[in-house]
Amino acid sequence: MKKGRWGEYLFIYPAVIFMLLLIGYPLIYNIILSFQDVDLNSLATGDKHFVWFDNYKALADQDGFGISVWNTIVYTLGSVVFQVVIGFLLALFFSMKFKLASFLRGVVMISWLIPLTITALLYKFMMGSGEGIFNQMLMGIGFIDDPIQWLSNPDIALWSVIIANIWVGIPFNMLLLSTGLSNLPEDVYESASLDGANWFQKLFKITIPLLRPVLLVVLMLGFIYTFKVFDLVFVMTGGGPINSTEVLSTIAYRLSFNEFQFSLGAAAANILFLILLVVSVIYLYMINKDEEA
Amino acid sequence: MQKRKEWILNILGILFVLIFLFPVYWMIITAFKSQSEIFQSTPTFWPKDFQFTSFIDIFKDNVGQYFLNSFMIAGLATILVLVLAVPSAYGLARFKVKGKNPMILLFLVTQMLPATVILTPLFIVFNNLSLLNTYWGPVLTCATLGVPFSVLILRTFFLGIPKELEEAASIDGCGRFRTFIRVIVPISYPSIVVCAAISFFFSWGDLIFSMTFNRNQDLWPLTAGIYNAIGRYGIEWNDLMAFATVSVLPVIVIFVILQKQLVKGLVSGSIK
Repeated sequence: MKKGRWGEYLFIYPAVIFMLLLIGYPLIYNIILSFQDVDLNSLATGDKHFVWFDNYKALADQDGFGISVWNTIVYTLGSVVFQVVIGFLLALFFSMKFKLASFLRGVVMISWLIPLTITALLYKFMMGSGEGIFNQMLMGIGFIDDPIQWLSNPDIALWSVIIANIWVGIPFNMLLLSTGLSNLPEDVYESASLDGANWFQKLFKITIPLLRPVLLVVLMLGFIYTFKVFDLVFVMTGGGPINSTEVLSTIAYRLSFNEFQFSLGAAAANILFLILLVVSVIYLYMINKDEEA
Repeated sequence: MQKRKEWILNILGILFVLIFLFPVYWMIITAFKSQSEIFQSTPTFWPKDFQFTSFIDIFKDNVGQYFLNSFMIAGLATILVLVLAVPSAYGLARFKVKGKNPMILLFLVTQMLPATVILTPLFIVFNNLSLLNTYWGPVLTCATLGVPFSVLILRTFFLGIPKELEEAASIDGCGRFRTFIRVIVPISYPSIVVCAAISFFFSWGDLIFSMTFNRNQDLWPLTAGIYNAIGRYGIEWNDLMAFATVSVLPVIVIFVILQKQLVKGLVSGSIK
């Protein structure tokens, strides 16, 4: 197998170089951009001077920025907690061996594969105050008297988007947790049954402790993927009504591509990136520790 | 007793899936309804007056072109992903190269980046390279979603292939590249198909890249077409849902064909 190294490099490097050019380089560029003063005018004239942290200061004073950070946190935690809990319950249900279990578990994946733009549109339709099926059903069974303003009431809109996001995220959580469940040792359960442990004791004393590593991975991945969400919020509410659903990714987009304040947009995107980087590093550290264990 | 439990579980499972996927049913069924039926106060779960008007409407409205664009963007991006990712994954699984771990880490981390971070810089770069308003903007950027995912999945798969296969091929006088094409690619075909499908889904669902890099409507994929239609169609939900149904169709078809492999592939790709 002693051959030139060139062949090996040709296998590996094209993909690495591609990612460095299309992700690595823009990432560094974006950091530089956030320390400069660049808008539509200076982009045309090529006049870029450094203003260091002025953009970040301006961002902090920007209308709606503070609320967008808060919304991102609420949105992420709200989504992840419910996705994991519901996904876990479903994984438990489908882990009981019945004929259709694996087929049905597969079919559920469809909600995860539908393009987010379409999911957003669909929920927008179902959450319409008059013609939306949600209100029609809830009023039909007498659960509410007046229609809920799912997307036009600033106090409710964020939770409406969270509901749509939970629907998207459930299958993926269920799938990972199902895999985790199927890898658990059977004999532990058998001996627990002999000791007379009931279903709840088994769940809290055996299943959850043993699944801890998988649960952590699922929580972390859920956090990472939800924190950077864009399409769902952008299409469902566009950040409104009155900033009530604005998140970091939508405000970064709006600043850059609606208001052409490229530096401000870059700064907002960097804050999003920084938080994700910290979480990703923790995540990678965790799976590394798992592999060594 | 066991039999009865089996029955109950199956029925519960079916019930849950029906409720969970009700929105998808609602989307498809609304596409065949008339405007007046949608706005009745009591919802109908089957169209009283089954009609195809909405589908005819949207095809008059350029949906064919959007569909073609989605196919071009997702198709080209998928080809690009495979050309880059399959050899790279193989190399990272088999060769002893310096800096292997940092490279694997690079692929792991890039999966976690928000698209918003690269938008502005790439917009400026593509502008300088005159790539705005071409297919290349979304194709190149969509491929960045599929490449890391595929490299990680396929690397795990290649690590599991016994080395003897390649050794036998090299004794027969095949070079490294020929061994790869003749031996490795054929046996890893199922995993490669899964990566192709997932990369296709990623690109098919993209909105942000196309919208940012292409202001030219003739190049828009279905997602951008829909986003734009929301404003123009107002509350013509039957047309919008017809639009949505057409957009989801290829995803559902591919999923149904590849369901078993996809579920397996997703799990190995996300945990490892």
